[in-house]
Amino acid sequence: MPTSNPDNEEGEFFGQFLNEYYAECDEHLTLVRRNLLALEAQVGRPQVDHALLDELFRSFHTLKGISAMVGLSAAEQLAHHLESYLRALRQQEAALDTRGLETLLTATSLLEQVIGARRDEKPSPDIGVVVEQLEALTLSGSPEPAPESSRADAPPHAAPANGAAAKRTWRVEFTPTPALAERGVNVNSVRARLQGLGEIVRATPQVRKQGEIAFLFVVATDAAESAFGGWEADGLTVAPFEEEAPAAVATAAPAPAVTLGAANVVRVDLARLDELMRMVGELVVSRARLEDQLKGLKRGGVPAATWRPLQETSHTIGRQLRDLRDGVMRVRMVQIGETFERMQFVVRDLTREGGKRVTLKTEGRETEIDKFLVERMTDPLMHLVRNAVTHGLETPAEREARGKFAEGRIKLCAATRGERVFVEVEDDGRGIDRARVAARAAARGLVEPGASLSDAALLDVLCAPGFSTRDEADRGSGRGVGMDVVRNTVEELGGSLLLETKRGRGTRFVVELPLTLALTEALIVGAGGQRFAVPQSAVREVFEAEPGAVKRFENNEVVAHRGGALPLVRLARLFNLEGEGQGAARVFVLGGGGGAGALGVVVDRVIGQREIVVRRIADPLARAAGVAGATELGDGRVVLILDVAALRQLAAGRL
Amino acid sequence: MTVNNQGGSEPFILFELAGTTYGVRSRFVQQVEMVEHVTPVPNASAAVEGVVFARGQVVPALSLRARFGFEKMPFDLRTRLVVVNTGARVVGLLVDTAREFVRISAESIEPPPDTITGLSGKYLEGIASLAGGRLVLILNLDEVLDLEGMQASDDATGETSGT
Repeated sequence: MPTSNPDNEEGEFFGQFLNEYYAECDEHLTLVRRNLLALEAQVGRPQVDHALLDELFRSFHTLKGISAMVGLSAAEQLAHHLESYLRALRQQEAALDTRGLETLLTATSLLEQVIGARRDEKPSPDIGVVVEQLEALTLSGSPEPAPESSRADAPPHAAPANGAAAKRTWRVEFTPTPALAERGVNVNSVRARLQGLGEIVRATPQVRKQGEIAFLFVVATDAAESAFGGWEADGLTVAPFEEEAPAAVATAAPAPAVTLGAANVVRVDLARLDELMRMVGELVVSRARLEDQLKGLKRGGVPAATWRPLQETSHTIGRQLRDLRDGVMRVRMVQIGETFERMQFVVRDLTREGGKRVTLKTEGRETEIDKFLVERMTDPLMHLVRNAVTHGLETPAEREARGKFAEGRIKLCAATRGERVFVEVEDDGRGIDRARVAARAAARGLVEPGASLSDAALLDVLCAPGFSTRDEADRGSGRGVGMDVVRNTVEELGGSLLLETKRGRGTRFVVELPLTLALTEALIVGAGGQRFAVPQSAVREVFEAEPGAVKRFENNEVVAHRGGALPLVRLARLFNLEGEGQGAARVFVLGGGGGAGALGVVVDRVIGQREIVVRRIADPLARAAGVAGATELGDGRVVLILDVAALRQLAAGRL
Repeated sequence: MTVNNQGGSEPFILFELAGTTYGVRSRFVQQVEMVEHVTPVPNASAAVEGVVFARGQVVPALSLRARFGFEKMPFDLRTRLVVVNTGARVVGLLVDTAREFVRISAESIEPPPDTITGLSGKYLEGIASLAGGRLVLILNLDEVLDLEGMQASDDATGETSGT
């Protein structure tokens, strides 16, 4: 009999449970942020919108409950105090003032950090100060302090069940040990045992202080208490179950209009959607193969009456596949508004610390974008927003001196154009000082001394690794990522970054991204006996250069093309592949978008254009400069997808 | 890597490399495949033969011969790709052949003797002696897949595989 590994199984179960926990926290925190921003407009009013307070209260109550289940007591406590303060607000024991709102915002950010720290396995930030502030606020408004709502270690308990039912609810806790597992007592056998008695209402794993894992079951059964006799020997403790239900919720009837339509929403792991997308992609590849075979039939002189119906069917499948693909893609889309709300928080935090005054305007919050892209873009966008506040905007005094509004303006907007999404971060601040950046860049040998920088060149300098316009990284923009990471992330996702800046008028960053990642049109080329895929969006044209037309000087090659000299690089040489054809050169031209010059890439063959499924190369061992991912063309072999941005850089090192 | 089998035994996949038998815990082995085509990755580490698809995922094919300092060999019908999944990473190991599956008890695994030092000793978690006096070198996957170690050995030999 194979020895099962109970630790492993339970660990996996718990890991999955934790992932659900983080996802749920994320949802609630998003809702909290939205509601806090709405609440901000009501500060100082004698009556604050009750529905808002109710919703916030419920969110924190849930956060408290789920945090307790995973044993994250810092989050539980913080949520508990937030909940208490909201209860006081609702019962008008405390009034909402600016200080109160600030504390709510700070505490929410802290709660997010506490949960994030647990996810990243980092030490949790200290919550003491914020908890004290919340306690003070909760008590300040009420003449007689309500002790039951202000102490973290006394969770409110309500009376057990609703009496009449014959079924009783029990709380059964199971702590697995190796000794028990040897005897065949593990979480599965316990679950089976409980199912034999009645219905398992809830099953949640918990992590104890010592890192031990325990499982908490809530069981509804009509069995007598004696049914649990002797269970302690199996590591089980049984007690009557008491549901934690804060009395305050009952006093205000929950408004059904504000509840989330949770019942109709299914939360799906992004990996499963990826898998679905991959399968759709495989269908696309299979159909391409079918088309090839049809072409073979036609060439082979098979009568039209035979292949025509097949052809029609193939076209129908093609159309249906596109619908299917669109359907799957739609499932992956989320609105960018949620990300914008986060930015509002970033701005708030920075303005409070930095003595600047900012209004943040957003446009196109309903713009939909692939969930994966949104997640990857959150940090880079945050960096751009931080930069705008700390570097872009002047102090109120400076602004007034220049005849601007004291309050700086930052605009975030998103829009879809065709298959691309544009996200812009714009400020009306001082603009980037080209001369200063040029001087610093020259000092580091990035540009010629005295060079004047175009917007594109300026962006190149700003995105050079480690280059920062300030000498020391300040708190605002030094956190997390730098401009180089911003650009790398955008390009990794198949997008591009653009910069426009005017002295004294402001700066605008434009992030252009594909709507979704998984499928794309590509040019298939051959070089050094290997096939490569080039994203079609990056290719401006394909042409064949006569052998004599390619001119060499020193290590460089150029070809006369469209009345200019087009610099060339040979893909085989760039990649150290064998055999670089010296004959007629097939060249694909990488467009000169964003101010960068056009670049011709010489390959041995241009095979054709195909729709490809983009697959990520996950392992660092297989990652290489110039390679963005991989795909398959129907024969099971891996074909590498070229990373156009990195290719340019590789070429620049060689040109 | 901690082993928690309470003195029991654990299944291992055995493979051959340059005349020596190695073992890797079968719970880390996702699949063992014949090698058909490996797509070279430009400018990758010398020990990385290229990439292949394994269950729809793009995984690197690491030549254990190159990794352990043996001469590379062309693939043949016996060549196998042992795809290991450590939880954090999925990597294919190219080995001469892999055919056996055995249970090895924890007590028969001893730490590698001090006399094995340097490059190869580091990659071993222990040495198991099977019935009949056969020795099996148990791989330490974390070390075998260690990137920095691989870059260091690239730097030492001063080459990267280009083809």
